[in-house]
Amino acid sequence: MSQIELHLNGESLTVDVEPGMPLLWVLRDVLGLTGTKYSCGIGVCGCCTVLIDGDAEQSCRIPVSEVRGREITTIEGLSVDGSHPIQQAWIAEQVAQCGYCQPGQIMAAVALLRRNPHPSPDEIRQAMDRVLCRCGTYPRILKAIQRAAEGALA
Amino acid sequence: MSEERLTRRDFLKVSAAAGVGIVISIYLPGCLQADRTPAATTEPAAALAPNLFVTISTDGQVTITCPRPDMGQGTRTALPMILAEELGADWASVQVKQADADPAYGDQQTGGSTSIQVYYDPLRRAGAVGRALLIAAAAQLWSAPPESCTARNGLVTNRETGEQFSFGELVETAMTLPVPNPVAAGLSDPSEFTLIGTTVPRFDAPDIVTGRAVFGMDVRAQGVLYAAVARCPSFGGRLAGYDDAAALAVPGVVRVVEIQCGMDGTTPTRGVAVVARDTWSAIQGRSALRVDWEEGDGASLDSAQIEGQLRERAAIEATEGRLVAYYRVPYYSHAPMEPINSIAWVHEDRCEIWAPTQNPQLLRDRIAQTYHFSEVVLHVPLVGGGFGRRLEFANTPGGNLPAMHLTEAVNISREVGAPVHVVWTRDDDIHFDYFQPLSVTRMTATLGNINSIQERRLDAAGYAVPTGALRAVTNIPQAFAHESFMDEYAAATGQDPVEVRRQVLQPRARTVLDLAAEQAGWGSPLPPGRGRGAAIHSTWGVSPCAEVAEVSVDADGRVRVERVVAAIDCGVAINPDLVRAQVEGGIIFGLSTTLKGEITIVGGRVQQSNFHDYPLLGMSESPEIEVHIVESTEDPTGIGEMANPPISAAVANAIFAATGKRVRRLPIRPEDILSAA
Repeated sequence: MSQIELHLNGESLTVDVEPGMPLLWVLRDVLGLTGTKYSCGIGVCGCCTVLIDGDAEQSCRIPVSEVRGREITTIEGLSVDGSHPIQQAWIAEQVAQCGYCQPGQIMAAVALLRRNPHPSPDEIRQAMDRVLCRCGTYPRILKAIQRAAEGALA
Repeated sequence: MSEERLTRRDFLKVSAAAGVGIVISIYLPGCLQADRTPAATTEPAAALAPNLFVTISTDGQVTITCPRPDMGQGTRTALPMILAEELGADWASVQVKQADADPAYGDQQTGGSTSIQVYYDPLRRAGAVGRALLIAAAAQLWSAPPESCTARNGLVTNRETGEQFSFGELVETAMTLPVPNPVAAGLSDPSEFTLIGTTVPRFDAPDIVTGRAVFGMDVRAQGVLYAAVARCPSFGGRLAGYDDAAALAVPGVVRVVEIQCGMDGTTPTRGVAVVARDTWSAIQGRSALRVDWEEGDGASLDSAQIEGQLRERAAIEATEGRLVAYYRVPYYSHAPMEPINSIAWVHEDRCEIWAPTQNPQLLRDRIAQTYHFSEVVLHVPLVGGGFGRRLEFANTPGGNLPAMHLTEAVNISREVGAPVHVVWTRDDDIHFDYFQPLSVTRMTATLGNINSIQERRLDAAGYAVPTGALRAVTNIPQAFAHESFMDEYAAATGQDPVEVRRQVLQPRARTVLDLAAEQAGWGSPLPPGRGRGAAIHSTWGVSPCAEVAEVSVDADGRVRVERVVAAIDCGVAINPDLVRAQVEGGIIFGLSTTLKGEITIVGGRVQQSNFHDYPLLGMSESPEIEVHIVESTEDPTGIGEMANPPISAAVANAIFAATGKRVRRLPIRPEDILSAA
C-alpha cells in the first residue's frame, strides 16, 4: 500500500492503495465514485473513460500511481447538477437506453469537443469509435455532440 | 379488449391508506400474461394477484410501482404515461418506483416485448377509475353533477363555474366514496390522447448523464466484500484441486473458498472464489490462484463439428424445379455492457439480494427453494443491458442452470458471513454465457408456387453448451433464412424482391413494407458497388418491421452499411421517441450479429473472451438510420425485439444486389462474399 495524492474533480485528496490498482477501481471501490463504469477491463470498450489533463483515457488500464498529481475529471466532476452542455445535449436527444456506457460516452465527447470544438460527422464517428454501446445509441450520440457543438457556436 | 375480463370482481381495487392516500391495485388475469413467455402462468391463484400499484397522495403526487425491470426500453416512463393519460394527471407530479421481486406483482419477467401490450388496457382502466373517483369527490364538494367536471393536468375543473381543485385537495374526500365501476368509468378515445403519442423524456435520463444512476454494479452494501470465481473452462469438467497460497498473498484478498456454482439438483459444478476488499484485488487474486481442472465429456465439443452434424441432418436432395438453401447462424454471446453481477447477504436464515435481472421472481424463488431461507428479499437496481441474458434461461443436457452468479454470491456469503458482490469479468461473461444456439435452417420452395415455401430449423440442442435466449431469440434465424430466401425466390423467378413479398403479406405488414420501400427510394438507381436489400419480419407475430438496407461492397469484400430505412407498425406508439430508439438500437444490435462477432468452440472451450475477439459494431460503422412509425389507434404491441431480426437478411440481400453474391452464413465475412456463387 502507498499514499498517493490525487487531483480529482477539482479537489486534492490522498488515497492509501496498491500503486498498481487501476484508477477505475480506486474511483469505484475506494472512493465510491461509481459513475465511471467497468465493462471490459482491457481498454477496448471505453465505458471507464475519464479525463486526465483534459484527454479521454481509459481508467481500467491506468495504474493509479501514474496519475499522481495529474488533473482527473470523472462524470461526477463534470457538473453538480447535469448542467454541462454535453449532459444537456444528451438529455435533449434522449441518447441513453440502458445508460451503462453513457458516462464513458459523455467523457469521450467532452474530450473531443475540447480538442475540436466543431467536429465534422466523420471526425465525431472516428473519435467516438472507442466507446462501445450494446443498445446502439450511436445515431443519437452523433446528434447530441453536434447539438452541443452548435450551442458552443451560438 | 374483452368486457368479460373486466366483469371479474377482482380486476381492480381501490383502497384508502392512512398517510398515503388512494391506492389503486390492479389485478391482471392470467390470460393476459403472454402465453409465449416460458415462465408465464395461468394458475387461477396467480391470476388474482395484483400486478400494479398506483397511489395518489394528498400532496397530489401520483406514484406508479413499475413491476418489471427496464433494461433501456423505457418502460419505466411509458407505463406511467399510459396511466397519467387516462387519469388526467399533471406529468410533472408523476413518479415511478421500481418493484422488488414479489409475487404480488404477478409476472415480473421482462421478456418477449410484452410489458406495454400487457399493461396498456389495465393501466388505462386504473387511470379512468382514478379520474372518475376524483371527479366524484369534486362534484360532491361543489354539489355539482359529475358530468360538468373534467380532469386534466392534475386539476378537476367545474366547467359551469370555472372552479378548480387540485388532485391532492380531493384525495381525502375521494377516499370516503364508493369505487366507480371500471367498465362504466369509460376510456378516452385514442384520437383525444394528449400525453400518449408525445415525446416525453425518460425519468432515468438525468441520473444517467450525471453518473448518479445505480446499476447492479454500483450498489454498495455496507461491509460488502467482492468476489471473483474460478470455474472450469471446458464444458462438463470438474474441479480437481487448487492451491490458494499465491492468491492469499495478493494484498486485499481476505479469503479463498471452494463453492458450488450451480444449483443443487441441476448441474453441480464446483469453483473457487477469491474474496477481497475490492474488485480489483479479487480479480488479481483469482489470476494468482493455481487450479487443476479435470476435463469431462464436453471436452471434445467443437462448434464446426456441431454445425456439420446439423447440416447433415438438414440436407435433402435438390430436384428439378425445387429451390433449396441452407442458412447458418452461429452461437452468439449477449455481452451487455454491464457485466453479470449480483450481491447476496445471508444473515441467519434470511437472504437479501441486489440483482440487475430481467427475471426477479425466478431468481428469488430459486434461491428461496434451494436454501430454504425464511425470507428472501430481492431488489432490482437499474439493469445495464439484458438482451435475454438476464432472463436466466439456460438449457443444458443436465437441466436448467439459472443464475450461477447469484448462486455463487449466496454460497460465498454463507461462507464468509458478509454481503458479497460477485462480479463476472468480461472474460467470465463471454465464456460462461447462455449462448444463442448455433442453427442451420433449410428453406425449400417449388418454383412458381410462392405458397410452397417451407422452413426447417435445427438448433444446436442436446450438447453440453448452455444455451439461452438472445433478443428476439428464434426470430433471428427465422428472419435471416426466410427473408433471404424470399430474395432468392424472387431472383430465381425473375421478380422484384419487394413485389414478391407483397403477394404474401397481410395488409398491415404490406403497408409497413411499402412505407419503408417508398422512403428508401426502392428501385431508384445506385452507383456501382452499392445495393439495396429489403426484409420484413413480425417478431412473435406482432409489430411488423420492414427494413431497407443500402450497402457498399469493395473489391476485398468489405461491407459498409450506409443507410437503413425502417418502418414499423406497433399499434399506438405510447412514446414515439422510445419506439424510434428501440428500432435504431435494434438495427445496430442486429448489425453486430450480422457483421461482427460469433462464438466458436474448440476442444470444449469457448475461444472468445472479450470485445477484441467478440467485437461489436462501433460508431464509425454505424449507418444513417431513418425510422417511420405507422400511425395507428390499435392497441400497442411490442418494440424491443422487432428491429434486429430483419436487418441480417436486408444486408445479405443488399450485398446480393450490389455484387450478385449470395451469403447464407452469419456473421457475413469478406471471404464468404468473395467465395460465394
